[in-house]
Amino acid sequence: MSTAPPPLHRKEKIAAALAEMCSVRVGNALFGIPITHILEIVGSARPQPVPLAPAFVGGLVHYRGDVLTTVSLRQLLGLPPQNGPQDILVLESSGGCFGLLVDSVGEVLTVSSADHEPNPSILDERRRSLFAGAYKLKDSLLVMLDPERLDPMRLGAAPVA
Amino acid sequence: MDELTREFLIESQEGLDRMERCLTDLEERPQDAGLIGEIFRSVHTIKGTTGFLGFKRLEKLAHAGENLLGLLREGRLTADRSIITGLLQLLDGLRSILKLIEAEGAEGQGEDAALIAQLEQLQAPAQAPVRQHAQARAGAQRAPAPPPVSQTKPPAHPLPEPAEATPAVQASADAGPVRPRIQGSAAESTLRVDVTLLNRMMNLVGELVLTRNQVLQATAADPNLTLLSRRLDMVTADLRESVMKARMQPVSNIFSKMPRIVRDLSQSLGRRVRLQFEGQDTELDKSLLEAIKDPLTHAVRNSLDHGIEPPEERKAASKDPEGTLMLRAAQEGSHVIIEVSDDGAGIAVDKVRQKAIERGLITADRAAHLAERELLQLIFLPGFSTAAAVTNVSGRGVGMDVVRTNVEKIGGKVEIDSRTGKGTTLRLRIPLTLAIIPALIVRSVNQSFALPQGALSELVHIPPEQAAAAIEWIEDAPLYRLRGKLLPLVFLHRLLMPGTEHRLTTERDNFIAVLDADGRRFGLVVDGLADPEEIVVKPLSAVLKTIGLYSGATVLGNADLALILDPGSIAIKAGITMSAEEEAARNGGAEEEAEAAKSIEYLLVEAAGRRAAVPLADVLRIEQLPASRIEYIGYRPVLNFEGQLLPVEDSGGVLAEVQGNPEAQIIVVVCREGNRHVGIAVSHVLDVAAGGDLFEAGTDLRTGGVTLLKSRVTGVVDLGAVPPLPAEEITQNEWNQVPETVA
Repeated sequence: MSTAPPPLHRKEKIAAALAEMCSVRVGNALFGIPITHILEIVGSARPQPVPLAPAFVGGLVHYRGDVLTTVSLRQLLGLPPQNGPQDILVLESSGGCFGLLVDSVGEVLTVSSADHEPNPSILDERRRSLFAGAYKLKDSLLVMLDPERLDPMRLGAAPVA
Repeated sequence: MDELTREFLIESQEGLDRMERCLTDLEERPQDAGLIGEIFRSVHTIKGTTGFLGFKRLEKLAHAGENLLGLLREGRLTADRSIITGLLQLLDGLRSILKLIEAEGAEGQGEDAALIAQLEQLQAPAQAPVRQHAQARAGAQRAPAPPPVSQTKPPAHPLPEPAEATPAVQASADAGPVRPRIQGSAAESTLRVDVTLLNRMMNLVGELVLTRNQVLQATAADPNLTLLSRRLDMVTADLRESVMKARMQPVSNIFSKMPRIVRDLSQSLGRRVRLQFEGQDTELDKSLLEAIKDPLTHAVRNSLDHGIEPPEERKAASKDPEGTLMLRAAQEGSHVIIEVSDDGAGIAVDKVRQKAIERGLITADRAAHLAERELLQLIFLPGFSTAAAVTNVSGRGVGMDVVRTNVEKIGGKVEIDSRTGKGTTLRLRIPLTLAIIPALIVRSVNQSFALPQGALSELVHIPPEQAAAAIEWIEDAPLYRLRGKLLPLVFLHRLLMPGTEHRLTTERDNFIAVLDADGRRFGLVVDGLADPEEIVVKPLSAVLKTIGLYSGATVLGNADLALILDPGSIAIKAGITMSAEEEAARNGGAEEEAEAAKSIEYLLVEAAGRRAAVPLADVLRIEQLPASRIEYIGYRPVLNFEGQLLPVEDSGGVLAEVQGNPEAQIIVVVCREGNRHVGIAVSHVLDVAAGGDLFEAGTDLRTGGVTLLKSRVTGVVDLGAVPPLPAEEITQNEWNQVPETVA
């Protein structure tokens, strides 16, 4: 009675803990976003700048009949702007859709919750508010981004310098 | 909320709308069994379905109403005024519960005992013993007559009954869903579609239009594909039109709410009012229809409260004691015109002037120079209300400026016309659709921006060599002298990138777009102009809306994105107010200003060597076209203009001059004349200038037909003298003869 359940239990736990993350590259860092939040990936786009918009707004892109506001991850991290086309992840959050501007989109990685660690305390305030911990990969870290926290509405409400 | 409840809500609301219309009709024809039957069915359906869905409160109320209606249907009661009032209250009660269900999914804890008791009270005469029953009949006779009487002397009925008495009118009148009969047959060929799906379709069509534009550009060079792409072009245009049509609803949807409002108000205000409708089948985009509901209701309230006088007063003025309120809708080009007109007392211009000065909206000095028409427009200013007493109907000082703000929000315009003692007409000009608007594409900071044409009054071109001297300065404020008036300037690139220079460049052409946003007039300096385009408006995310300068975004024909500028917000951001403009104008010379305000502006044209003037207010467009575009009906020149036939006036002999030379370019000034448009053939358009009055020597009689323009006596083209085309005449008469009487 006490020997039968454990294997089943363990199998279940593993299945629940595995998640697929889309990896993106900005600067030298690798970030991950749960693929369940990604609607579409738009390659090499040139967003139209919006004068007077908050700095984190990367511009507007045309996406399936709608005009999408994009958030520049580079800008959020305080990196210098990159000239040339960037990739856009179309993300869905509770406030609607928006685009996330990244340098390039990489492969989809399967990670296990066992490898997850919360944000380290030495991170600065701004990064702590954007990141949702990190997964330890074999030879690097995959820093997690939470689409909800990147929503332009939310960023607009709590101004990021 | 489950599908069943949602369907029930939609059906019940439709039923109640129908009931409301029938009730106002029932007051006219209390014996109409068809109307009573229709009302009974609406309430009965609600009762039946609520029992099934378990809405007990709704069921109880509907049941009480059904009992009363049952007695009416059996002829044991006659629908007098108190019963109709009771039924209208029942309607309101049912509606408010439905609203609760829609919002919260439950019918709430409200108490309807009072209403139910009232409905039971109304049944009393019919349920009492025979003796009292007879009394009730006698009592009912005070109200409209019972069936035998009304059948023997129908002419005694105070009003015509369009639905029955005049079948010819019914047939030719609007086919809006006002009569249940029509709706019954239409139900089989119609389908309920979710508005969000329609919006999505509209979006996709916008997308298709864009793709088409790109395909057209890409295939222009390839003759093999030209035919195909032309087909694609045509099909796309048709599809776009069809989807836009699917979003259209007849204005009768909101007109039909008015009889109830008019009924309630005329009772509480002691007015007698006949409500008439015209053009109910005119269609408008659903979202726009929603947007004008409140302004229209407000206008109707205003007409009843301030316009139409009490019966005694009307009798004293030897007018029909019953006032007429006319709601009229018609399509005019890409706009729908909705008019609310009454034959009431009109607006006392002197009172308007006095009030405006009292409220500090205008200086006495300036008021003295304003024309009557301009004075009337003052009632649209915030904080203006002429009602001697503040009533609970209107006159809270939030009146007409709210109407104007709401209408301008959707790109429309409001005008008012009034004649003392004769009545008032309020005219709303609403664009056909919100989703697609005409805009001028301008360039600034190396980007394209769309400027809605509704706010654009003119464009000024300043060539590089004049750039240095074109702008005048008061301290740091740039001003441009436009026909003698100083116009404050806003540099778009400086607004978008604060800190940059605001000077005109001497390297290339400069353009000033003269804008008029809610009475704020200013010039927007842009770096360049592109073509005007019909743009599909896309909403912006909330974070960009808060910037305030942009009202949306759009995708241009070349697949570029463009932000849509909001002239009103730009004016506010740049600190341009209505008084600031006046002040600037005073600095520039008060006399000039007064002179300009008093006189009418004219378009100065030249027709075959002779100068003539056309009142600028009547000019809609100036079209340059080859002479071969002019066609003839008999001897009369006409122009096929945007699918409509435009009579062209050629008293100057311009057409004769270019005859035999189809390549020659002529200019046609398209003007508004009453309800129609006419064209004036001219050889050149010279200028716009303010006209001065001329007086015959020795008299103070103003001479008609001529004006002093740029120090020369110039003849004014009489637009009214252009004879209408034969076909136009017939439709005009039809308009006037078949107004549908409802109230």
